[in-house]
Order: sequence, then structure tokens, then C-alpha cells
Amino acid sequence: MNTRKQLENDTLGSDVLLRRLEAIAKPSSAERSVLSSLPGSVKHYRAHDDIVRIGDRPSVVCLMLDGMSARYKVSADGKRQIMSFHIQGDIPDLQSLFIDVMDHSLAALVDSTVLAIPHDKMLNIVDLHPRIAHVLWRETLIDAALFREWIVMRDRPAYVRVAHLLCEQFLRMQAVGLTRDHTCPLPLTQAQIGDALGLSNVHVNRTLQELRAEELIILEGWTLTILDFEGLKKAGEFDPLYLHMKKRG
Amino acid sequence: MTLEFRPIRVATGSDDQEGVLAFANDDFVAVLVRLSELHDNMAGSWFLEAAFGIRDANRIFPDLEAAQD
Repeated sequence: MNTRKQLENDTLGSDVLLRRLEAIAKPSSAERSVLSSLPGSVKHYRAHDDIVRIGDRPSVVCLMLDGMSARYKVSADGKRQIMSFHIQGDIPDLQSLFIDVMDHSLAALVDSTVLAIPHDKMLNIVDLHPRIAHVLWRETLIDAALFREWIVMRDRPAYVRVAHLLCEQFLRMQAVGLTRDHTCPLPLTQAQIGDALGLSNVHVNRTLQELRAEELIILEGWTLTILDFEGLKKAGEFDPLYLHMKKRG
Repeated sequence: MTLEFRPIRVATGSDDQEGVLAFANDDFVAVLVRLSELHDNMAGSWFLEAAFGIRDANRIFPDLEAAQD
């Protein structure tokens, strides 16, 4: 059984970056070498730890090696808005490379491991290897595509929003090799799903029960099994276009 | 503020169907729904399903007495 302690996987975040480069170009041996030995220090965070906080002026960017994190902000009345979820291969605070101050926070949702890459080393890599810069640029553009999708989904009913999020998480996990058949880890509490979708725990719970009753999903422990992906896509009005997932080829 | 509660059934699309309309004087101010066994440790609490003129909807109260505040 999967636990919230750690997402099981044997793919490093740096391998994911290499795969992303392979999706747009054939990597040179120099690019392979750089991506397989990225400079930085490995850091471990416990569930709920902040990795970077709003107002911080980071000197490193964090490549997720393992676990799961979320960007968030807290409103004046104490409500937390989660803006995105991140898994291995993501660099959720990449913006700090060019924008001095963090305008939101990033927290580990489960025990997570990141590679903290110093800004100067990262800048050196992108200066020397433009195609690696292209990969990072492309990822930030896809990041923005996800935000656009989430904005559009904000007006949809709870049922649609939850189904859409499950489709999105499954495909993003699948892209980095974290799925097995129709199953993937989903170490999110109902409160965290609610914080991401602007829904109360009660609405999230009702909706998950509805999706279960319709035999679209099984959600047990921290594992999501999608019994009927086409059905879940329909429920979530989900079109994966915005994820811009290229097949490796 | 003293609230008056009138029992109703609410079509939430779930097992949460027992509800009340809440009135302040003659003004209809909120719909509260009693959470069913679906919600494990929250079962039996009252969920502020919809509210008018109150900013923080979606709060949960242990009982209707607590919702008065």
C-alpha cells in the first residue's frame, strides 16, 4: 500500500528533465552529462514543511526528486489557496532564478526530496546549453497553461472540478512513470483537494463518493485507481490538450 | 440574533438530505444540512450549505445551537 510518507518511484527528477529534452530534441552527450550530474545539495522535507515562503529571496531553485509539493497563498481570512501540485521533475520555484522575491509559498505535502540547485550554477547551465534553457522555458509555458485551465475550471460544478483534477493528476503522474496500469499515488487529503479547487471538505467528500458510486474511481489509502478513464474524462470535461504532452519519439 | 429553523429536505445529490432553512426575524438567511454517515467523524454536524449576507459560508457547526452564534 502506498503511504503519504513517500511516493514510490525509481526515476530521478533529473531523468525527467532529460526525457523532457528528448521530447523536443535529441540530447547531445554534453547535455546528457549535464542533466545526469546536476549540481546542488539534496534536501529532505517532512510533510507540511515549507520549502520556500512568500517574501523569501532564494539563492537556489528546487528540482523535485521525490514526493509532492504545492504552491499556495493564504488569504486575509486564513483560507489557503493551493495553486498547483508538483511531482518529480518539476522545478516549482524556477521563477526565483529571474524574479528576486517569492510571491507565494511552496510546501511539501508528503515527505519530499529536492535537489537545491544554486542560481549561479543553474544560470551557467542555461547559458552554456540553450536547449536545456528551451526545456525549462517550455515547462514554464506549460505551467501557465495549467493555470489557465484551472481558471476556466473555477466556474464548473464541484463534480466536474474534482473529476478534472483527478484526470490531470493521473496523466501528470503517468508522464513521469509513477502510474501502474490504472493506478497512481494520490497523497492528497480532501482538505488539500478543496484548497486547490475552492471547495469545502464536505463538497469534496460528496463528490468523491459520487464518482465512486458511478464506478469511475476507487480511492483507497493514498492510491487512486481509475476504473473508467473515458467516463472520468467525460465527468471532468477533460481535454488533455493543455498539458502539451509529447510522446517520446 | 435568534434564528428560527424550519425543517426541509435538501437535494444535495448525496446522503446529506436533512436540512433546515434558517430565518432571522422574517428574513431567510441560510440553509444548513445535517451531515450523514458519509462524513465519518463529521457526521451529525451541521454544514452551512448556503448563506445570504454572511461571508464565510461552508462552515460546520456541532449543533444548531452553535449555528446561532
